[in-house]
Amino acid sequence: MLLRKSVVPLNSDATGRFLPWLVAVMVYLAALALVSAMAMSKIVTRWDHGLSGQITVQLPVSESDLTEAEITNRREEVLTLLQQSPGVLSANHIGREETAALLEPWLGQTSGLSELPLPDLIAVEIDQLDPPSTASLTARLIEIVPGATIDDHQRWLGNLLNLARSIEIVAALVVLLVGLSAVIMVVFVTRMGLAVHYQIVELLHLIGAQDGYIAREFQTHSLKLGFFGGLVGVALAALTIFGITRLLGQADTALLPALSLRPLEWVILGALPFASALVAMVTARLTVLRTLSRIP
Amino acid sequence: MVRFQDVSLRYGAGPEILDRVSLDLAPGSFHFVIGASGAGKSSLLKMMYLANRPTSGRISLFGRDVSSLSRHDAALLRRRIGVVFQDFRLLDHLSTLDNVALPLKVSGQRSDEIRKDVVELLTWVGLADHLDAKPATLSGGQQQRVAIARAVVSRPSLLLADEPTGNVDNRIAERLLYLFEELNKRGTTIVVATHNEALISRFNYPVIRLVRGEVRLEHAETLIRTSDMPARAPVDHGTRDTSLPVEGNPESAG
Repeated sequence: MLLRKSVVPLNSDATGRFLPWLVAVMVYLAALALVSAMAMSKIVTRWDHGLSGQITVQLPVSESDLTEAEITNRREEVLTLLQQSPGVLSANHIGREETAALLEPWLGQTSGLSELPLPDLIAVEIDQLDPPSTASLTARLIEIVPGATIDDHQRWLGNLLNLARSIEIVAALVVLLVGLSAVIMVVFVTRMGLAVHYQIVELLHLIGAQDGYIAREFQTHSLKLGFFGGLVGVALAALTIFGITRLLGQADTALLPALSLRPLEWVILGALPFASALVAMVTARLTVLRTLSRIP
Repeated sequence: MVRFQDVSLRYGAGPEILDRVSLDLAPGSFHFVIGASGAGKSSLLKMMYLANRPTSGRISLFGRDVSSLSRHDAALLRRRIGVVFQDFRLLDHLSTLDNVALPLKVSGQRSDEIRKDVVELLTWVGLADHLDAKPATLSGGQQQRVAIARAVVSRPSLLLADEPTGNVDNRIAERLLYLFEELNKRGTTIVVATHNEALISRFNYPVIRLVRGEVRLEHAETLIRTSDMPARAPVDHGTRDTSLPVEGNPESAG
């Protein structure tokens, strides 16, 4: 009986057959863009948390004839100065072995590290609410150790933040463009459907069907196609993320970020088929209503 | 019921199809619309079932000015109008039952109620054995009956038929008009557009003649009768055969 059957036979149309696959590609791209943005955001947050509130003091080791005792003395003097400075919470010397370990990811494990003239590093934790003036602190340090520098990581972190924001903006643009493309495709397919089935649409209109009734025929069809396409796209994206995660795990390097998604992020990805179905449904409905408004 | 006041119609920049037409069809009336091909019969009917809006003038249906109707109200008004289209406009992918059920479905009736009404109506028009048949498997006459059943299934107040006798022989055409006459007796206002003047001369109903976009009201009896279509003898309404002949059934075909 009729209630189980669509009045407009859209399922038998060739026009709508390619739509789910195009939606799948779109959702796949959107999913990867979102994951990139989320991963980048996480990395930056990690770096930001790790580096904010910390500065590093570098005491150069010159080629001069300073003895080990003199080097130790001036370091102790610097540590005392730092610990007495307002806004400094703590100051700790980073030992030579620890400094060498920091270079390992770049230079590898080699006995030659001990031969390198590595600077004396002091990790300083500062009060973020009342930080010391880097310039005045540097000036006082130079009086003790000529050539001493302070690295507050801001330039490096600032560049990274800019990069991360750029990636997030690009990802948002990709999602926007993908959404826009999906809308255009659904409009096109719906218009094709309306053209192919114009006689049926007109008949329904003439026997008293409300515009919403006719629109439901099309929007339900688009909803199904959009959801199916979204499911396929997300499934492919999940496979891709899984593959990349495995590759990153095998690479075992500190330079590459870990690509692990939190439950909430998986939920966001899982919501994509519903989003694509919703976009397809609303677009189809508005397209049909707009077209019907031209019929007297 | 149907009132046209100085209604004109033209398509785009084309010539005037209807020129300042005024008419007033009373509730429960029966009218024929005749005229040569291209005279504007279909256009007149299209404006009655709100498929076309006039270029100028005013149309009132059921006492309401159609130009001021919202889309929602226009749809509700259309449900009170049954239309038998010249080309039937049956949906090929739906069964006979579903085609006839369509107006009830769009008006939101329950499925079980729809089935009961539709089966009853299809039995009345002699298609009880073809409930699940697709239009393509039906003859022209059967398709026409499905179209008529669909037009009357929602018990419309106004029934419009555009050339319903165009594709059938005179015997079936005459019975078809008897069927409309029966519906008219039950209170339905009927307007039938046809070019078959000989046929309608057998019926004693007013005629709207369209000539070059203008209307003239005539009486059917003033029309010239053809030799092969004798004037109808007074008929006893109680015994008149209003059933439509079913192909392959000589008894029914009478």
